[in-house]
Amino acid sequence: MTLVPVTYKGGIYQHDIIMDLIEDLGGYIVQKHIIAAEVVLQCFVPKADIGLIRTIAKPLFGEVTDSPLVGTEIAIVSMSLEIHHLPHPSCDIAEYVRRIGAKSNMVSLARGPGKRIAGLNDEERDVINEHDLAVYLMGNFETCIEYKMPTLRRGIEVPIILCGGPSEEALRRITDPPFDGYVGNVGRFMRRTKESDQLDKLDEIVAEITRVVEKKRDDIAKDPLSVSPARLMDLIREKVPAILDVTSPTPLTVQMRGLRVKLPFDTFAAPLRAIEIEDGIKVGDVAEVAPSRMRDYILVKILPFSETNTVI
Amino acid sequence: MAALEYFEVECPEPLGAEYYRQIANDVLLDHNLLKVVEKLHIYIDPKVPVFIAVGTLRKIKTIVRVGDFANVNPLEGKITLVISDETYLAPMLKLFWEKFGKEHVEQPDRFTVMLYDVKMDPREIEALVVADPSESLFRDLIYAFRCIAPEGFRLRRETFAKEKFSFVASENTLAEDVDALVAEKFALIGEKP
Repeated sequence: MTLVPVTYKGGIYQHDIIMDLIEDLGGYIVQKHIIAAEVVLQCFVPKADIGLIRTIAKPLFGEVTDSPLVGTEIAIVSMSLEIHHLPHPSCDIAEYVRRIGAKSNMVSLARGPGKRIAGLNDEERDVINEHDLAVYLMGNFETCIEYKMPTLRRGIEVPIILCGGPSEEALRRITDPPFDGYVGNVGRFMRRTKESDQLDKLDEIVAEITRVVEKKRDDIAKDPLSVSPARLMDLIREKVPAILDVTSPTPLTVQMRGLRVKLPFDTFAAPLRAIEIEDGIKVGDVAEVAPSRMRDYILVKILPFSETNTVI
Repeated sequence: MAALEYFEVECPEPLGAEYYRQIANDVLLDHNLLKVVEKLHIYIDPKVPVFIAVGTLRKIKTIVRVGDFANVNPLEGKITLVISDETYLAPMLKLFWEKFGKEHVEQPDRFTVMLYDVKMDPREIEALVVADPSESLFRDLIYAFRCIAPEGFRLRRETFAKEKFSFVASENTLAEDVDALVAEKFALIGEKP
């Protein structure tokens, strides 16, 4: 059964029918937002059953759209928290990515700006590495990007998409080894992105992120994970009731290779490892439960089939 | 950019110059400074690195009086002020409290202020000076240029006088010959530093 990421948008009336349907079909609801009288469900559903969901959603005026970024956690790396970079363009991009299903976090560097003075500390490096991919938002000058990029990418293991003021060709020319994705002509600007050409640029960033995410999914498919992150999410929600009291918007954040559990590590790591998934196989057997560098959260890294020899 | 008489951004990287022109325009527009700046020349060299902005300022008469944003209507022992623009409401209320005392000033809603038992002539009230925006002008200009300049350029030297200003920023210690560079840029806009 192949699960595909989709977004369901519809009225609040009878939306529980859709939720039950997705769960009955063996799908998972990753995020649920209720905005006024509208419900947005970001979920994984079996590929073969999308037609059925569409048919049942039709009388409710619900819409099912593909959203390849559901179930990914993306770091939008902004060079600082100053007015120079916020709210435009960093927040604009983070928000746009969020609209199509990704969980985006903004990571602002303590010493990101400048040319010679730019740096990346170990905490920032580790936090970025906890994500599925990072989008680096750089400034407008080729010289500065060329000079500081080797420092800012040191130790980063996740795919990086580089956005900057110079054209895409220039960005490719000045970076070696090449990054996983490039979007040119989007550097520092101080106005809201609302004109059509600016929105096209945001679409371009999203397209580049999607391309990199798809590539990563293909890589994962070659050595599949021992358990699907979405399934683990459902299981934790069922077995660890404390998660229901967490007020964060996504207490369980699904990533491509694991999930972030927003509970204190010291108290909950052991019970989490002991959760039985199926046939006596415990979470601790198929996943590494590690402390996250983000607050005192828990990071569950699911091991691939090649390491555990089990897929459940 | 019609308001500026001269506006140029000079940079070895043409695309960077174009972006910075846009940034400067947006920031000055956001801070309502386009009316104030007459000529502006920005020079950026990311290789050095250095950011220089030189320019001239317009003379502005900017004293804001009560009559500029409020209608003063005397009626049966009380004076009603109908406010059309809230920007200076707070300094005006403060002024009234000091002059007449809090018990004589009342604000029933956002756009109305009533004065009770005030002996002052309504015309005199209209002529009361509420604020002088030019007091904060230099502060606003410096803030705006800090926003325009690349963020890493934290070592600054700025000179703001009545008619001219220069703003130099870099991330390294400023070179000793930076004055010559500033003078060169002033010459481009036909001024002397």
